[in-house]
Amino acid sequence: MIYYLLLPVFSLLLIVFQTTVLDLFFLGKIGLEVSLILVVYAGFHLDIMKGGVLSLILGFFLDCVTGGVTGFFTFIYVAVFFLSKIVSLRIYAEGIAFIMCFTFICIFSEGIITVLIYKFICGADMSYNILRVFLPQALVAGVLSPAFFAIFERLEVLLNVEGRK
Amino acid sequence: MSFYKKYQSIIIASILIIASIIILSLNLKQFGRVSFLRKLVLEAAAPLEKVVNSTIEGISGIWERHVFLVELEEENRRLRNKIVFLTKEINRYREVSLEGVRLKKLLALKEGIDYPTVAARVIGRNRSSVFKMILINRGTTDGVKVGSPVLTDKGIIGRIIETSWNVSRVLLLVDYNSNVDALIQGNRARGVLQGRGSKGCSLRYVQRSEEVKVGDTVISSGLARVFPKGLLLGTVKKVEKKKFGLFQEIEVAPAVDFSRLEEVLVILTDVIDQPQRH
Repeated sequence: MIYYLLLPVFSLLLIVFQTTVLDLFFLGKIGLEVSLILVVYAGFHLDIMKGGVLSLILGFFLDCVTGGVTGFFTFIYVAVFFLSKIVSLRIYAEGIAFIMCFTFICIFSEGIITVLIYKFICGADMSYNILRVFLPQALVAGVLSPAFFAIFERLEVLLNVEGRK
Repeated sequence: MSFYKKYQSIIIASILIIASIIILSLNLKQFGRVSFLRKLVLEAAAPLEKVVNSTIEGISGIWERHVFLVELEEENRRLRNKIVFLTKEINRYREVSLEGVRLKKLLALKEGIDYPTVAARVIGRNRSSVFKMILINRGTTDGVKVGSPVLTDKGIIGRIIETSWNVSRVLLLVDYNSNVDALIQGNRARGVLQGRGSKGCSLRYVQRSEEVKVGDTVISSGLARVFPKGLLLGTVKKVEKKKFGLFQEIEVAPAVDFSRLEEVLVILTDVIDQPQRH
C-alpha cells in the first residue's frame, strides 16, 4: 500500500527532475527520458499491477508537465510497459546489450509516434527532428539504460518493493 | 473469483490500456479544456520547477564567480573576494535598474493597450527542443483565461493554452502548434505565421504574386480575433518562390528573443474586438 501512496510523489519528483535538470545535459538539445527507461525496467522487473500503475502515473505527469495533449504519453508509457512485460516473459531480458537495444527501440518509437501524431492531428511537420533530436535521444538513453537499470535495482531493494517478478 | 485470478494480468492490462486510450481520445476532442487533475499536477509541479530552476541558476552563478578563486593565494583571494562582493553589489543594482527599465517599458505597453491587462513573471521554461512553452505566475484568480494573448514591449510572444489558479502555460509563437493570422506591414499581404521550433517561424499561404522582401515587418492581422491588430511578430529573413505551387515559402525571425523572457503582459480578454484604434 505504501508503494501506491509514495508513487505519485516520487513520480512527480522524477518528472520535474527530468524536465529541468536532465534537459540541461547536452546543452538542452537532447532530453534524457529516464521516466521511459523506468517504465521499461518496470516491465522487466515489476508485477503487472505495480508496473502498470507506475507507467500510467508517470505518463500522465509527463503529459501535464510538458503541456502536451493529456493521454499522449500516458498511452505510450502504458503500451511500452506491456510490451516490455510481454517481451520479458518470452525472452531472457537481463543482458546489457538487450536492455540497450530494447530501450533504444522504445524511445525511438516514441519519437516516431510523436512525429506521426503531430503530422496527422496537428498538421505540423516535425520530421526533421527524427535525425536531429529523437535518434540521438534514443541512442543516449539506450547507452545509459544499463546504468539506470542498476540504479533502479538498488532503489527497488532499498525501498523493498514487493511484487517483484 | 477463480476467473479473475486466472485472467488477472489480462484484465489489468486491458483496463489500463483502455483507460489511457479513453483519456487520449477525450482530450483530443476537448483540446484546450484543462481538467481538475491536470490543474492539481501543474500547481504541484510549478513550485518544484521554480526551486530546481533557481537552484540550477544559483549553482551556475557560484561556478562562474567563485570556483576559479579556490586555487589563488590568500591575499589574492581576499582581494578577489572583495571584487566579487562589489561586482555582486553592482550586479544587484544593475539588475534592479534593468528590471525598472523593463517594467517601465511594460507599463508603457500596458497604457497603450485598450484592453485590461496583467503583468506576469516567467517562472519556468520548457527546456526541451520540441515543446516551446513557458510558465507564468498568473492564473485564473488574476483573470487569465485560455486563449489570452501574451506580449512584451518587443511584440507578441504567444497565447495562454492552459491555466490553473495561480500559474498559466504560454504557447510560444515558435511552437509547432502555434498559428497566428499575420500581415506583411508594407504590402498588406496576408498569411498565417506558423511556429517551427528552433528554426523560428514560417509565414504560410502568402500568394506567389505578392512581393515580399527580406527585412519586411510581419504584424498581427487581428482577423482571428485572438491578437490585437498591428502588433509586431517578426521580420522576414528568407523568401523562396518555387517553380510550382500557389504560395511562396517565407521564413520569419521572431521579434522577441524567447530565451530572455522575464516579464510579460497578458491581455485579459479571450476575444479581441476589431477594429480598434489601429
